[in-house]
Amino acid sequence: MSMTERMTGQFIPGASLLHSLDARAKLFGFILLTAAVILADTVAGYALIIALMLLLTAVSKLPVSTVVGSVRRMFWFFVIIFIMNCLFYSAEDPIWSWWIISLSKAGAVQGFNVMFRILIILVLSNIFTLVTPPLEITSAIQSMLKPLKLLRLPADDIAMIISVAIQFIPTLLQEADTIKMAQIARGARFESRKLHERAAAMLPLIVPMFLSAFKRADELATAMEARGYRGAKHRSGKKAAPMPAGSYASILFCAAVCAAEIII
Amino acid sequence: MRKMTAVKKSIITAVCIALCYVLPLMFHGIQNAGSIFCPMHIPVFICGLICGWPYGLLCGIAGPLLSSALTGMPPAAMLPSMMVELAVYGAVAGLMMKLVHTKSTYADLYISLITAIVCGRVLAGVAKALIFARGSYSMAAWVAGNVVTSWPGTVIQLVFIPGIVFALMKANLIPRRYPRLED
Repeated sequence: MSMTERMTGQFIPGASLLHSLDARAKLFGFILLTAAVILADTVAGYALIIALMLLLTAVSKLPVSTVVGSVRRMFWFFVIIFIMNCLFYSAEDPIWSWWIISLSKAGAVQGFNVMFRILIILVLSNIFTLVTPPLEITSAIQSMLKPLKLLRLPADDIAMIISVAIQFIPTLLQEADTIKMAQIARGARFESRKLHERAAAMLPLIVPMFLSAFKRADELATAMEARGYRGAKHRSGKKAAPMPAGSYASILFCAAVCAAEIII
Repeated sequence: MRKMTAVKKSIITAVCIALCYVLPLMFHGIQNAGSIFCPMHIPVFICGLICGWPYGLLCGIAGPLLSSALTGMPPAAMLPSMMVELAVYGAVAGLMMKLVHTKSTYADLYISLITAIVCGRVLAGVAKALIFARGSYSMAAWVAGNVVTSWPGTVIQLVFIPGIVFALMKANLIPRRYPRLED
């Protein structure tokens, strides 16, 4: 990624309808729409999800290239997942098989399902983080975790940890893709039929992945401490305002999409 | 090397939760990789070993929950028992690292790791037998699911986790456990 290219999931200020919605409504809507994506398993269900993605992109007024940026960078990751499922899925009725390769309809469907769900959820989480400032995401999670305070659990710290985890996902996925491509260039055999060979190819990815992730964690922790962050309980914050009616309507809309996926 | 502050432990926990989502995705091309290689277990153990039991516990609960919410893996039916198993891994690994001090980092890591693996698998079996799959879960199913199928995952955990912790110490990303002895 070049220095001028925008980081995946980085908030972009704007005046769209999605920007103006309450962060709590956006988070709840994101959870409902993620459930809808997981529930989708028919052509009509997929069409509904694609239409919804187009609608959300249009309403967010974000450039399409930014919304699908992380997906574009992970193109080969999706291609590898699809091809592996297509060619190596152990189906009972293969269309064509030769040596270790077995092309089947069930494998193609499985590959498409996995690829489609990850792709749409990635776009969905990208839109969510692009239209919601990180601080608002944290307070939205905090308000969702409020009941934990009754049990004297540090709900504010847990909310901060979860919001940082969500923001790390696109970065780590990109990192995983880069490390995987580097290993392929070094001759790793991810496409081997033998389980132990494929597992052996995966193992060299784990250590660099942890080193890179911990390096990022160290940098972020240093930056937070340098700015005086000493834990969520020491932070002051404004009192959460009640959610406006429009935000309730958006939650209802997402719940309707989820219900439609169950019916379809 | 800076010491492990609460902020740093929190951020490491966040990264481990994110890895609970990313690592299983990397293994997704292999059929049944989740139950054979247990990629989601690795960040939870590492979080518990490095940050302590409360953080390991949180990672064990939030990791599978976040992954299930975002990708549907693990499926909702498996999620509660998996959360119990991973929460025990994270908490016991952290507790053991606090209690065990043999003056050898490797020995501490292996004792903590093996205790956590045993406790997690036993408690996950107990939770399934008494709560999540009451009446339809047997000793044979526990041995098949938690011992036989996942033995490659156990080997990976035993080989890789201490290695990863040492690599992180060598890279100065976490403090050494016994600085005077190891320098």
